[in-house]
Amino acid sequence: MRLPTVWHLTKKEILSTFRDRRALISNVVIPLLLMPVVMLGLPRVLGGIFESEAVSLTPVAVEGAEFLPEAMTGLLELSLIELRPVDNVESAVRDGDVSTGLVVPEGFDAQLESGEAPSLTIHTLAGNMQSELATGKLNAAIGMYRQQLVTGAITAAGLDASVLEPLRIVTMDASTEQQRSSGMFGWMIPFFIAMWALMGGQMTAIDATAGEKERGTMESLLVSPVSRFEVVIGKWLATMLFGLMASIAAISGYLIGGAIMDRVSATAEESAADSFSMVMGGSLTISPQVLIELFLSAVLLTAFISALLIAISMFARSFKEAQSYIGPLSIVLVIPAVAMQFRDFFDLGVVQYLIPILNAIIVMYDTVRGDSNLAGLAVTWISLAVFTVVLLLFAYRNFKREDVIFRT
Amino acid sequence: MISVNGLTKRFGKVTAADDISFEVAAGEVFGLLGPNGAGKTTTLRILATLIEPTAGTASVAGLDIRRESAAVRRSIGVVNGGMGLYDRLTGREILHYFGRLYDLSRERIDARIVELDKLLDLGETLSRKAGGFSTGMKQKIVIARAVLHDPPVIFFDEATSGLDVVARRAVIDFVRNYPSEERAVIYSTHVMSEVEELCDRIAIIDDGALIAEGTAASLAERTGADNLEGAFFRLVRSGAAA
Repeated sequence: MRLPTVWHLTKKEILSTFRDRRALISNVVIPLLLMPVVMLGLPRVLGGIFESEAVSLTPVAVEGAEFLPEAMTGLLELSLIELRPVDNVESAVRDGDVSTGLVVPEGFDAQLESGEAPSLTIHTLAGNMQSELATGKLNAAIGMYRQQLVTGAITAAGLDASVLEPLRIVTMDASTEQQRSSGMFGWMIPFFIAMWALMGGQMTAIDATAGEKERGTMESLLVSPVSRFEVVIGKWLATMLFGLMASIAAISGYLIGGAIMDRVSATAEESAADSFSMVMGGSLTISPQVLIELFLSAVLLTAFISALLIAISMFARSFKEAQSYIGPLSIVLVIPAVAMQFRDFFDLGVVQYLIPILNAIIVMYDTVRGDSNLAGLAVTWISLAVFTVVLLLFAYRNFKREDVIFRT
Repeated sequence: MISVNGLTKRFGKVTAADDISFEVAAGEVFGLLGPNGAGKTTTLRILATLIEPTAGTASVAGLDIRRESAAVRRSIGVVNGGMGLYDRLTGREILHYFGRLYDLSRERIDARIVELDKLLDLGETLSRKAGGFSTGMKQKIVIARAVLHDPPVIFFDEATSGLDVVARRAVIDFVRNYPSEERAVIYSTHVMSEVEELCDRIAIIDDGALIAEGTAASLAERTGADNLEGAFFRLVRSGAAA
């Protein structure tokens, strides 16, 4: 294999992809902008919604409002709940007039007075975020009133209110600062790296293989004295560079977003939006060691994904056919990434570090959380390198097959 | 310059080339004439070392196609009608890209581009991206690319397919003017007039087999036809009847 020839082939693919404005936008601009928007903007928007729900007046449909004790009505108003009398609470909630409702039975206040323990019925919409927030607010207000009643009854019986709490539970967070700052959605970082390695590389891979066949340039390339192995390696390198570029753009976007977030948090009081952003992993600070581990894992994962892209798209007759083959690959990336949410529940031992893609996502997730271990990283990196070589040899073998090359 | 002996290629049960043999001398333009699907492209792909023959052998520029495939590829240029270009590269960039694959120096490539510009009138194709080329402009760069390294053997495979009358004439004029004493050309087509105008000798291929070989006049004389077209149909029909 002649390295200058390989680099010459790679350079042409780089030049060709760089001149494709769509490729530049999807490989650099979108990952650079999307990461801050998804990791920071979305949490802030959602956090803002939660915050606004907490401080604004929440309408609640009510039947039998006249049977509510005055003290309870006052407490509900104090909790920023606006009672809206309706004829039928269930239909009012179902029709979307309000997101939650309360049915007060006839004589509720009298029953309470006589100690009969009457029931209140709350109508809610399952799976509706706004309804869940409103119901939570209503439940909290009713719970406060109930607490007042219980405390009053205990005191009236000559007992101290502390009997209601014979023991206390104190929960301490044992996680490290890195684990806390990676948030519940720290799995999104390896997911985005893997996803952009795939999306960034696929255009180059398809253009350099199925695209060459479709255009009719493959035959002219193969009648030149370049070896087919050099062609495979040249195209794989170019694919890898663009996959890596998109991944780096995505991580850069994330770090830039994190830096902006830190600055905003330093100057503002912690709000619901800030704490929600923290949960999303938006305030993660990446140390040099974490960055190096992440980078190496990303490089090897991209090498593997690029080899897979070249091997697959070489079979296709056309650009469109290659896209239809590669489409399902994103599912292969999504499954292990989403499984990282349940990382605490599974540990497959050394096997998890041997399976390509899964292993990279696991070690990158662990790295982000500060839980990486050298043995796991080493096995992952070796596994990815070995599988990449196997895929490249497979691609080379296919590249020599007449039925593959002339499959147009 | 080119020697083909019993070349056979089977794709499963289909025999695309069946025991084909012929010789092409230096300075000769040799025509491969046959209907679409006759086996012309398969024969040329074998000679270009793109596919391996099932049986038989051949040498191109004195090099064995099986044992010295890389050297064979260095000695040939291939022009075909379906050969595309890289849309986002200019004509000059395309020529430099391929020139480097043939280990030509940057200076040598530039010198060849000047020579080929005179011969093919490359003009603005050198500075414009290929995506905006007309079919005629494309074919000029395809030809320039094929002969950039000044190969001793050139294959034209349906090179005028899809071209307008002006572009087609440019290709024909190039073939007529370009060969020299040291160069051999195989010109494959199904267009009789092109073969009559360009080729010193002709091989008629039908259904994978070479059914006749000779000059246009000798083929007409042998079949009792008035011209090459008449000879071609008589030969193909007699081949089918046999």
